[in-house]
Amino acid sequence: MRSLFSDAPRVTLTAIYWAFIFYLLLPLTLMMAMSFKDANFVAFPIGEWTLDWYAKVLQDKQFLEACLYSIMIAAATTLAATVLGVWIAMLIVAEGIKGQVIIFALACLPAVVPGMISAISLRIFISTIDMPTGTAAIILGHTVHAVPFVVVMALTRLRSMPGNLVDAARDLGADSFVAFLRVTLPYLGPALFGGMIFCVLLSIDDFVRTFFLGGYRPTLPMLIFAKVQGGMSPEINAMATLVLVVTAAVGLYAEYLTRRARTR
Amino acid sequence: MEPVVQFDHVTKNYGSQVAVDDLNLSIEAGKFVTLLGPSGCGKSTSLRMLGGFEMPTSGRILLSGKDVTRVPPNKRNVNIVFQDYALFPHMNVAKNIAFGLELKGLDNKSIHRRVSELLELVQLQDYANRLPNELSGGQRQRVALMRALAPDPDVLLLDEPLSALDAKLRQQMQIELKAIQEKTGKTFMFVTHDQEEALTMSDTIVVMNNGRIEQMGDPSTLYGRPGSVFVANFIGETNLLRSTVLGAEGNLTALDWNGITIKADQGGLSPKAGEHLYVVLRPESIHCSATEPTSGNRIKGKIRQRVFKGNHTSLAVEVGDGAVLNTLVHPGDVAQLAGDDIWVGWKPETATVIPDRHAHR
Amino acid sequence: MSVPKYSTGMAKVVNSSLYQHTLGAAVESRIGRIILLASVPLLWLIMLHVGPIYQMLKISLLSHYPVQPGVESHFTLANYAIFFQESIYFTPLIKSFIFATGATAFTLVVVYPVAYYVAKIVKPQGRSKALLLLLVPFWAGELIRTFSVIMLLANRGAVNVLLREIGLIDRPIPMLYTSFSLGFGLVYLICLYMLLPLYSAIEKIPSPLLDAAADLGAGPFTRFRRIILPLSRDGIVSGCSLVFLTCIGVFATPMLLGGPNTVLFPETISSFFHGASDKWPVGAAFALIMLVTALIAAAIFMRLVGGSKRRAI
Repeated sequence: MRSLFSDAPRVTLTAIYWAFIFYLLLPLTLMMAMSFKDANFVAFPIGEWTLDWYAKVLQDKQFLEACLYSIMIAAATTLAATVLGVWIAMLIVAEGIKGQVIIFALACLPAVVPGMISAISLRIFISTIDMPTGTAAIILGHTVHAVPFVVVMALTRLRSMPGNLVDAARDLGADSFVAFLRVTLPYLGPALFGGMIFCVLLSIDDFVRTFFLGGYRPTLPMLIFAKVQGGMSPEINAMATLVLVVTAAVGLYAEYLTRRARTR
Repeated sequence: MEPVVQFDHVTKNYGSQVAVDDLNLSIEAGKFVTLLGPSGCGKSTSLRMLGGFEMPTSGRILLSGKDVTRVPPNKRNVNIVFQDYALFPHMNVAKNIAFGLELKGLDNKSIHRRVSELLELVQLQDYANRLPNELSGGQRQRVALMRALAPDPDVLLLDEPLSALDAKLRQQMQIELKAIQEKTGKTFMFVTHDQEEALTMSDTIVVMNNGRIEQMGDPSTLYGRPGSVFVANFIGETNLLRSTVLGAEGNLTALDWNGITIKADQGGLSPKAGEHLYVVLRPESIHCSATEPTSGNRIKGKIRQRVFKGNHTSLAVEVGDGAVLNTLVHPGDVAQLAGDDIWVGWKPETATVIPDRHAHR
Repeated sequence: MSVPKYSTGMAKVVNSSLYQHTLGAAVESRIGRIILLASVPLLWLIMLHVGPIYQMLKISLLSHYPVQPGVESHFTLANYAIFFQESIYFTPLIKSFIFATGATAFTLVVVYPVAYYVAKIVKPQGRSKALLLLLVPFWAGELIRTFSVIMLLANRGAVNVLLREIGLIDRPIPMLYTSFSLGFGLVYLICLYMLLPLYSAIEKIPSPLLDAAADLGAGPFTRFRRIILPLSRDGIVSGCSLVFLTCIGVFATPMLLGGPNTVLFPETISSFFHGASDKWPVGAAFALIMLVTALIAAAIFMRLVGGSKRRAI
């Protein structure tokens, strides 16, 4: 009697958890299933199964170009955001500098401003400095978006760093810069790599900033958006499935890395 | 010979707080010198100033005769063994030790030779490729020591390096540290709050208190002839008897302690009659017996407390009204002290007098 | 034994006169170090974290932008006034707030038990797996997740087909392009932003505390109300703020899932930046109205719910 009563919350919660997992995975699973449908319209049920749509997508020049373009932007964004994020984090943990709270608040600002407003303000900003819309503007926008995340990740790791590691390096003959390169940076290493992958995903994912800052060359989300608005076809499903599988794999890898870094 | 380290009127303030107050200290080459004192006495600050991590507010620091007061840590030929070792977690043992050598611009072969030599010194040859977190506390300690010794510093600084180890390992490391110091002939400057560590290893102990040097000397002098109440209390167990001088008797002084007349060594002072002084009396100098001793100071007392400590038993003996002397008795002698009434006695020359002031200068 | 490779190159660079006279010299002086450390970050933060917001504010107070030849731009508050004059302008903002608030509240209620389950019921060694399963959809981007909701809710989508198969309906229920599909999509999009803050807050509650409460006679409901809820307050505050602010700024999802009756404010703002009739100053003013109201709403919420004042940076 007593055990039945005390187990009730546990059973309920377990049920809620699995229901929630079902809810999370159902739409994506359906979307993926649809990519194998042997008909050129999207509707249930699926009668015949085929891989034709994947063949079509993988030969779709527009799709492949959008992929490349997105990857290029993501790589540039990640590089810039990592350098800037680590630099800002180093400034925040530095001794003898005032106003660290303000610097931290400023660094986090783009993460608090809703995406739409951030996009609009950047659109206005690039026009005030006479920068044309296009690749450079997209990279700039994505970098602004990614920097706060790198700052937070780098800060967390820096704060867990024993304070005298840098002292030890200095003591053994390294100047501040060499100590940073040889000790601080490798210490940040694994966490930073996880953060970089996060930046890549953030950039590849971004629609609203690209929408306002981009030119005519579509990135992956722009292409998918245009296709979804233009009408349904299992081709879009195949495209989305491919993107999902790749990003999920990369995401899981990043998760694995940060976890490993934390336990070390 | 020129001292390898000189603190010349060094003062360090943090805001209005004085961490180190007009420190003057010379250290001879090849010696094992310990800065001993309670936390906040300025010993670690002095060490960090010598390492280059703190800038003195005033005064100069000389290293092998050169003024290094404003030289950054990476340009000073001193190395520190940090309290928690500060081994680089992403580098293996060999790379940790090689770090300072790499930055000196040595070629690969020389680095390898030196690293192997040092690993051999502490028998860690087989651990060269391990990461620090795969080592035990004692091994980490040794690696940290070798990393600091590798660039051949003028002085090796050790900032309470044994405090993270357990008691048994700590004792073992004390002996090993001393052996390495003797083998390498390096000047070691060791900082600790543990008087036992200081007594075991040092050639010279510098007792610090409130940013100043309280007393400096070799271990047996500090123990046997403490120069102040602070030193007497800080190093070893002690009985401090506040007494009034009655008069000199040769090298000895006759004093009145709670109405009992006792004699003690003058300890370099020239006490005047009527002056208040402390008599320092170590527990092990006191001899307990059931019958009255025939010579020296002797007082009849009652045992108030017995504490068994393994290799000895510690007794608290009440003498006169309320005054208590702490003594220790060896296991073989305990049996004859069955009753509570005993005699305590000591030779006058084993007790010494110190002034009744906390800081004496 | 082979000789390991040590990094001897670093010393060569560091000892070169080029390095010694440039970077090497700079990092040795206090001023040089501060300049090296602070210059780029401060420049970036002021230029690109503050700059765009500042420019937006500036332009929202101008009568014309981009300035055409022959037209003079002057200071005005008219752009803000427009917002209050037409219901087609302020209704979308109200709708945005309703949707964001609704989605936040709904998400909180749904995700809280899930977070609690993972943090307290699942055994520690199984926790990262349980979390990972929740995180998988997170790696699909905004658009793909939105698109997958279409698959579910379309007239010939899974739900309608299923309902017809079991004979509950004859004709599909129009779910897509309604408030329902938009709400569903929003929740689907943002529920994980709620999960992580809640999880980390609940996980920090020491389990012995719950045992102690149970020992003192507190039932499950009392334990929840008196201990778990107050102690997870920080997670609730940050999760809700995060979800709310994200919801407010979502752009693509409402365009794909919403219908003519669910025009949200971002779409309204967007219309000022595209097409022939672009009125940037009005768009900027509207964006600022949204930013300020959203932040005020979040701040009021934080104040109401409380949470610890000490927020470590």
